[in-house]
Amino acid sequence: MSIIEVEHLHKIFQIPHEKRNTLFKTLTGLLRPASYETFHALKDISFSIEDGEMLGIIGQNGSGKSTLLKILARILVPTSGSVRVRKRITPFLELGVGFNQDFTAAENIRIYGIIMGLSPQEIDDKSDYILEFAGLTKFRDTKLRNFSSGMQVRLAFSTAIQTNPEILLLDEVLAVGDMDFQKKCLTVLEQFKNEGVTIIFVSHDLDDISEHCGRAMLLNHGELAMIGETRDVIVRYQSTAMI
Amino acid sequence: MLFQHIKDLYDYRNLIWVLAWVEFKQRYKNSVLGYFWSLLEPLLMFAVLYIVFSNLMRVQVEHYQLFLLQGIIMWSFFTRSTSASLMAIAGKPQLVKKVYFPRDILVISGCITALLMSIFESIVFLAFLLFFGIPLSVNIAYLPIIIFLFFMIALGTSLVLAALNVYYRDIQYIWALVLQIGFFATPVIFPLSVFPPYLLKVLSYNPLAQVIFLARDVTLYSKVPNMASFLFVIFIAVVVLVFGYVIFTRLEPRFAEEL
Repeated sequence: MSIIEVEHLHKIFQIPHEKRNTLFKTLTGLLRPASYETFHALKDISFSIEDGEMLGIIGQNGSGKSTLLKILARILVPTSGSVRVRKRITPFLELGVGFNQDFTAAENIRIYGIIMGLSPQEIDDKSDYILEFAGLTKFRDTKLRNFSSGMQVRLAFSTAIQTNPEILLLDEVLAVGDMDFQKKCLTVLEQFKNEGVTIIFVSHDLDDISEHCGRAMLLNHGELAMIGETRDVIVRYQSTAMI
Repeated sequence: MLFQHIKDLYDYRNLIWVLAWVEFKQRYKNSVLGYFWSLLEPLLMFAVLYIVFSNLMRVQVEHYQLFLLQGIIMWSFFTRSTSASLMAIAGKPQLVKKVYFPRDILVISGCITALLMSIFESIVFLAFLLFFGIPLSVNIAYLPIIIFLFFMIALGTSLVLAALNVYYRDIQYIWALVLQIGFFATPVIFPLSVFPPYLLKVLSYNPLAQVIFLARDVTLYSKVPNMASFLFVIFIAVVVLVFGYVIFTRLEPRFAEEL
């Protein structure tokens, strides 16, 4: 059964030439009509994703990959078309959303965990394990501002993977850590995949895509250029990128 | 749709609470006096206003100390909740652009933070009540209802401000002005009766004036709330909250694009 169905999805951004972000500018600008640049970020996208599948999304910068993920996550609203999602979506568009530098590691696990949909009970049960997994047990009561950025990412990732996702959206989050961290991330991804989690994975690393994703989707200037066997899609991407 | 949204909010209750708690805690985390600062602040304001208005202006009000303190605490709740709401969406681009949850949660949790601070400040008020030996009556039971209605008004106003400030960043400066005028149009430091009759008539339609007036009646003066005022406040609370949600839901879909 397909758990995500997208039909004829369009997203058009209107980018004003002159941003009127105050009441004053809007009132004084009433006589001159505002001029917009329209940007057609997604054009007539239709596809569906099966339960438990791992789909890779590739394409050049500005091809609409992140916009598509944000629409699936309900952060952006489609201009037209329909999006049907039958299970709970957990977006990892950025790690450590809501982290607060003035709070300790343990407190931040609580804040971030709840933002990511964990219950207070689950957090209490898991916070020791999260700290251990991040290798930060000693720093439990240290304020986050004294953490290096690598430590913060580790803490965020360890917390985020505790969320029991049903559908996981990944937007190049793996690109931030060092080699060890990336390896750890991919191991966790494999584990999720084996547990039957549906994963949608945006990456520029074609090796990662071909290694982990059964199917892939190629976006080109907002159009769905191809969706199918990962190998074929990558070949197509490489051939268009050459031109 | 309404019930669905209430159910959604219930499902997100942990998030609402944790966001409110973070703001509340952060407020005092980096100050030496910590939580005591929040008690000191209204006390200092109280002391200054009390000296000025009881000695120089000679305001004639029964239990003036408590009249004043209750006015300050309630007015601060309104200023804090609405001022915080201006940045509730506009100041948190990460939470709006990278994760999804109903956006009004950010505004609701801001208002809860303000409420927590006011409840905390009320410790001082309670101490004053005991110190001056003010007799309380069963009418105090109305107070939670009045505070709930007050919360609805503050939340409705905050929803409008939070949504508009995303699109028009000068709303925050305009609102600061409105609050300054509002302070004198509301009986915080003196009763409305100091105004001439024609102004009094106009100002008695100020819902905040009615809320504070009702709260004082049931706590300080052991009175049954005036039914006309009570119904007026209920009516305004519902209207303001509905209006707030109408504006908010209309502007909400494009928050992530505007930030």
